[in-house]
Amino acid sequence: MRRFLDALYWSCGALAGLMLIAICIVMMLMSVGREFGINLKGGDEITGWLCAALCFLGLAYTFKHGDLIRVTLVVDRFAGPRRRAIELVALFTGGAFLGLFAWFCTRMVYDSWRFAEFAQGVIAIPIWIPQAALALGVALLFVAFVDEFVRVLRGYKPCYMRDPPRTADEIIERAAESGV
Amino acid sequence: MGLLLLGVLALLLGMGVWIAMSLMACGWVSLLLAGKMTAGQILATTTWGGANSWTLAALPLFIWMGEILFRTRLSDEMFRGLAPWVGWLPGRLMHVNVLGCGIFGSVSGSSAATCATIAKIALPELKRRGYDEELSLGSLAGAGTLGILIPPSITMVVYAVAAEVSIIQVFLAGFIPGLIVMALYSGYIVVWSLRNPDKTPPDDMKHLSFRERLRESANLIPCTLLILLVFASLLFGWATATECAAWGVVGSLAISAWSRMLTWKSFWDSVMGTVRLSCMIMLILAGASFMAVSMGYTGVPAALATWVNGLNLSPYMLIAVLTLMYIVLGTALDGISMILLTTSIVLPMIKAAGFDLVWFGIFMVLVIEMAEVSPPVGFNLFVLQAMSGKDSMYVARAALPFFFLLVAAVAIITLWPWTVMVLPKLAFPG
Repeated sequence: MRRFLDALYWSCGALAGLMLIAICIVMMLMSVGREFGINLKGGDEITGWLCAALCFLGLAYTFKHGDLIRVTLVVDRFAGPRRRAIELVALFTGGAFLGLFAWFCTRMVYDSWRFAEFAQGVIAIPIWIPQAALALGVALLFVAFVDEFVRVLRGYKPCYMRDPPRTADEIIERAAESGV
Repeated sequence: MGLLLLGVLALLLGMGVWIAMSLMACGWVSLLLAGKMTAGQILATTTWGGANSWTLAALPLFIWMGEILFRTRLSDEMFRGLAPWVGWLPGRLMHVNVLGCGIFGSVSGSSAATCATIAKIALPELKRRGYDEELSLGSLAGAGTLGILIPPSITMVVYAVAAEVSIIQVFLAGFIPGLIVMALYSGYIVVWSLRNPDKTPPDDMKHLSFRERLRESANLIPCTLLILLVFASLLFGWATATECAAWGVVGSLAISAWSRMLTWKSFWDSVMGTVRLSCMIMLILAGASFMAVSMGYTGVPAALATWVNGLNLSPYMLIAVLTLMYIVLGTALDGISMILLTTSIVLPMIKAAGFDLVWFGIFMVLVIEMAEVSPPVGFNLFVLQAMSGKDSMYVARAALPFFFLLVAAVAIITLWPWTVMVLPKLAFPG
C-alpha cells in the first residue's frame, strides 16, 4: 500500500512534468509554424488544458515533497505532542476542505460527461476529458492528506516536514525552490 | 462581516493550515454568509476556468527558464565577466553583486534563486579579497530582489493574472524601476566606500589589458543575447508572453548545453522543480480566485473601497498607508500569497483612487521586495544566512540600508509615475 501510493504520487508528478514539456513544444510549434504560414488551429486551447493538467496532477507530489506553503511562524514555536496535535488539526481542516473540493470537481466532470458537453472552440472534444485531470489531481491530493493524517496519528513524522537541510548547497537549493 | 472573514482567515493561517485551503475555506464561509448555497459548484468552475488558461501557461515556462539557468555555471561566468569592468568605481567588486543580480534577474523570475545564484560565487570571492562582509551580504540581499522586478518575473505574471492586466505591459513597466533600484544600490555602495576608504581592497585586475577583459567577458555573450531576445520580442510585440517564455526555455537549454551542463539528470531536476513551484502557486491562485469571486457576493471589497474613498485620503497618503500595510503583511506571508490575498480587496480601492493597475503592479513588486529582505521570513535573508553562516540578526542588519533604498524607490515611482508607464505606453500606444 505504502509503495503503491508513493509510486502513484510520483507518477502523477512525472506526468505533470511531461505536460510542461508538451506546453513548451506546442508553443514553439505555433510560434515557428506562423513564420512559415502554417496556422496550428486550437493550439491555444491545447496549451490551456495542458496547463491545467500540469497544475493539478502534480499537487499530491508537491505536497508530499513539502512544497505546498503555509505560515509556520506560529506553529514552529511548538514541539512534541502539542506540535503533533496542531499538525493533526491542520491536516484535518485542510483535508476536510479538500474532500469537499474533490467531491465538487468530480461532480463537475460527471455532469460534463452526463450532459455530453463539448469544448467550445476549434477542437470539439468532450470537455470532460481535459477536466478529468482536475478531478483526478485534487482527489489524489485529498488521498495524500488522508495518508499524512493517518501517518501522524500513528506517531510518524509527516513527510511534508523535511529535515532541516545540512549543507549550504542544500539550503540554497531549497530556498530557491520554495521562495519566489 | 469583513472583520469576521479576516478573523477566520487569520486563525486558519496561524494554525498552519495550507494557504490555498485557508483561502478556499474563507471563500466558502463568505458565500454561506451571503446566502449562496452553491459554493461547491462555484469553487469547481472558478478553479477550472482559472487554471485552463492559455496566458497562465507562461508561468510554468518562465519558472522553468530560471530553473534551467540556476543549474548552470552562469554565476561563475557572471562574476568573471563583470569583475574586470568595475575596478574604477569606488566600491569596486561590490558592484558585481548589483550588476550580476540585475543581469541574472533579466533571465530569471525569482528573487531567492537570483540571490542564491549570484551569492554562490560572489560571497566567497569578495570575502577572500577582503571586502567588507556586511556590505557584501546587504547588497546581495537587496540586489537579489531584482529577480522579480526585472522581467521576466513570476511575481508579475501572478499579479497580471490576478489583476487581469496584460503580462507584457507589466513586464515592460518593470525595466526602468529596475534600473532605478540598481542605481540606488550602486550609489549607496559608492557613498559607503567613499566614507570608508580603508575597507575597500585595491584593484587587483588593473594589469589586465582591454583584450583580456573582453575575453573574460566572452562567456556572458549567450546570456546577453537571450536577454536581448526576450526584451526585444516583448517591446516590439513579436511574440505573446507565453511564446516568449517558450523561446526563453529553448534559449536557456541552448546556453546550458553550450556550457556542457545539460545532462538528463539536470534536465529532469529542472522539470520536477518547475512542477513543484507551479503547483504550489496554482493551488493558491485557485483558492484566491475562488475567494475573490465569493468576496464579490458579500460586497465587502466594494464597501471598503467606498469607505476608503470617503476618507478623502490624498493618493500619496493612500500609497503610504498601503506600503505600511504590506510591510506588516510581509513579515508573515510570502510575496505570491500577499498579491493573491489582497488584490480582490485592494484593487477596487486603487482604481477608485485613480491609479493605473499596471503601475500598481510595480508598486506591489517593490513592497514584496521589501518583504524578501526583512525578517522574520525574508527568503533572501534565509539564503544568505545559510551561505555565510552568520546569524539571522547580522544578515537582517546588513540588509537594512537596502530595505530603506527600496522604500525610496517606492517614493520615486509614486512621485514620478511616468518612470513606470513610459515603456508600456511606448509599446502599446493608446
